[in-house]
Amino acid sequence: MPGQKLYIENWLIQPVSIAPLVTLRVVIGVMLLFSTLRFVALGWVDDHYITPVFHFKYFGFEWVEPLPATGLYIVHGLLIISSLCVMLGLFYRLAAIVQFLLFTYTELIDLTYYLNHYYFVSIVCGLLVLVPANRAFSLDVLRKPAISRSKISRWTIFIFQLQLGIVYFHAGIWKVNYDWLVNALPLKIWIPANDQLPLIGWIFQQKITPYLFSWAGMLYDVSIVLWLSWSRTRPWAYLTVIVFHTLTGLMFQIGVFPLVMIGATLIFFSEQWHERLWNWASDTITKPLRFRNRVADFPGFQHLENLKTQFATHRSSLITSFLVLFFLFQILFPWRYLLYPGNIFWTEEGYRFCWRVMLMEKAGTATFFVKDAKTGREGEVVNSEFLNAHQEKQMAMQPDMILQFAHFLKKHYEQRGVSNPAVRAEVYVTLNARPSKLLIDPNVDLTKIRDGWAHKTWILNDK
Amino acid sequence: MLNRSSLSILLLSLSALFIGFACDSNSGGDPSDDFDRQAMLRNYADNLIEPAYDDLKSKTGSLYTATQAFQVAPSADMLNTLRNLWLSAYTSWQYANAYNFGPAGEEGLRKGLIEEIGTFPASEPKIENAIAAGTWNLEDFNRDARGYLAIEYLIFGKGQSDDEILAAFASNPNRYDYLIALAEDIDDRVNEVLSAWNGAYRDEFVQNDGTDAGSSTSLLYNEFVRSYEAIKNFKLGLPLGKRPGQTQPEPQLVEAYYSGASLEMLEHHLTAIGYIWYGRAKNGQDGIGFREYLEKVEGGTALIAETETQLTAVVVALDAVPGAPPLAEQIAGDKTQLEALYTEFQKMTRYFKSDMSSLLGIAITFSSGDGD
Repeated sequence: MPGQKLYIENWLIQPVSIAPLVTLRVVIGVMLLFSTLRFVALGWVDDHYITPVFHFKYFGFEWVEPLPATGLYIVHGLLIISSLCVMLGLFYRLAAIVQFLLFTYTELIDLTYYLNHYYFVSIVCGLLVLVPANRAFSLDVLRKPAISRSKISRWTIFIFQLQLGIVYFHAGIWKVNYDWLVNALPLKIWIPANDQLPLIGWIFQQKITPYLFSWAGMLYDVSIVLWLSWSRTRPWAYLTVIVFHTLTGLMFQIGVFPLVMIGATLIFFSEQWHERLWNWASDTITKPLRFRNRVADFPGFQHLENLKTQFATHRSSLITSFLVLFFLFQILFPWRYLLYPGNIFWTEEGYRFCWRVMLMEKAGTATFFVKDAKTGREGEVVNSEFLNAHQEKQMAMQPDMILQFAHFLKKHYEQRGVSNPAVRAEVYVTLNARPSKLLIDPNVDLTKIRDGWAHKTWILNDK
Repeated sequence: MLNRSSLSILLLSLSALFIGFACDSNSGGDPSDDFDRQAMLRNYADNLIEPAYDDLKSKTGSLYTATQAFQVAPSADMLNTLRNLWLSAYTSWQYANAYNFGPAGEEGLRKGLIEEIGTFPASEPKIENAIAAGTWNLEDFNRDARGYLAIEYLIFGKGQSDDEILAAFASNPNRYDYLIALAEDIDDRVNEVLSAWNGAYRDEFVQNDGTDAGSSTSLLYNEFVRSYEAIKNFKLGLPLGKRPGQTQPEPQLVEAYYSGASLEMLEHHLTAIGYIWYGRAKNGQDGIGFREYLEKVEGGTALIAETETQLTAVVVALDAVPGAPPLAEQIAGDKTQLEALYTEFQKMTRYFKSDMSSLLGIAITFSSGDGD
């Protein structure tokens, strides 16, 4: 259907206002700046990356190593500078690349700290590299007025809307399961635990609240992008965005993520809304300058209608093919769990990178036994000797991390003179408040197993 | 039309959240079986923690005074008095050693109270070197040269007769001074913690009634689990040679090695852990504790049953261990019962460590993973 293709293509390259993209650029820059400062201020660079003697690796990214302490602080310093530059639109392309690479690097150091939120931020930073978000209201325009544009191709905004749509829709669709909708689990556990919150705490004490929140959360996630896309429902939808993310932000320790989503969803607002925002901002910014310098026109902060209307269509077959492949991946990858047998909440095979957010309450106790092949003597590992509390907690319920730790233990104790150590683990896991059960075969020698895409046959059934 | 009807469902359910309850709250519907965490924290503060430190302070005070008296008039009798006071103070410590947060927590270079006054095994060379040199610093990282177990080494000696111990004191007056300094250090540290609990910290503890990391419930719970694991890993496991890389049992690593009171202290420690589980005061008065909290949450009843069955199994296994000879000697000899006890301890871990925190929704770390 060539006509159809042409239609879509035309739609994607239609000129639209650059204003929404500017908003997104500033939102992401500010968020990353704030989140990195917070991370450093809380001492998490030390706690997460420097102090631990062992790091859990991402499958396929085993080569990513933490830099020495100084290097890590430099990385975070550069991250702060680059996000500041992205926010201001200064040396934008370079800053966006640096921001994307460094942020992703810090995420890849240790699997323990994996969060869908971070994955999302990483993706958005990557996509920001591809778009000319610095062509209005930026220091780059102040430096080089010739690059200023009031219009850009629609795809540069659409890719962010699409990505947000993918995130929300999946987050919602995974909530359509028996425990979530019928048993109101895990909210039945989490909500009463938050009943001391000021003003709304009493709501959390009601028996019906977990059910209402479960259903509302599911409906919200599945459909919010629709309501945000439709102008008539948008104000209400955005109000629910604020309420929803504020609530989850109060209830869970998820850092700046609620703010990221409240900021990023602004991308669904109309061009006119964003233009009004930036025209107002430009007045505010240039007013004192104008008074002092008596210069009427500040190229970096012009009203949009004064900018060149010409726009480059921003079409590159390389970028097009990349984006097609990327979004194909985004749409298909979350469903890979269908290829694995068993309950995904139990096995977690195909669980990450799927926007499965806050879906279950799970915890485990993992006890590792290291056996000396020569003497037959078996010793029990004290995990906290090697892992911090967060690492141990995450490891104790996720088979691939259990496997990694077992391999680490083999190497460690081999160096300590244990001959050809066999490592087995007794791992008891509780899922959504059910009595804990053995997660993996406690007799299997984990050192003989390599991680891979194939189903892990050593995971036991949860039934 | 479809859009509109879905929209109304969405708006309806959302508005129900914010308006619905407003009407409901005064309608006298059935009361929610909400758990009063403040009441639980109050019970822990007033009936377990404060009394434990109170008792401990009086014992450490007596111990300190006795060390001074010992220096003035050393004798075998006085040495025995000192030993009894030490045993009594160290027994009281078993009921206070699980609360290493707030005033007893880490602060700057100071570690938790248990590290500062309860580190074992004591380092004999460090202690002897300090005495020989006549200088010591009780604020540094040589925590195995101070605290209860260092005092124990000085007054019980290592296979020495009373005369030999008295002679060691007589031969170098620094030995008295060191002993007194150690006893004073313990007394000061305990006093500082007790004063804080008698002062502002008690209310701060009760009012910090969330379940997030840093909340009183989370702090208490974390230390409770750590304390339980210390029994298993350090008081029993390590001396038994349970660690990978250990090639044999290491009886000299037991707690209270010189006095031989290891088993007795382990029993007291386990009893204290049981009291925290039940929310029970030392005088037997039962209050609101983790057990009562679990009664109110999803899956809690099942966990209580499993936990208490296992707690009984642990106690039975402990009772099966002969009261004499001392633990270190038993470890060097026939340790069948000790191995059995260790196994029962191990089975218990998961109930305390992960099942409980999961059911109660207690955050144990400051940043959360969203996979859970």
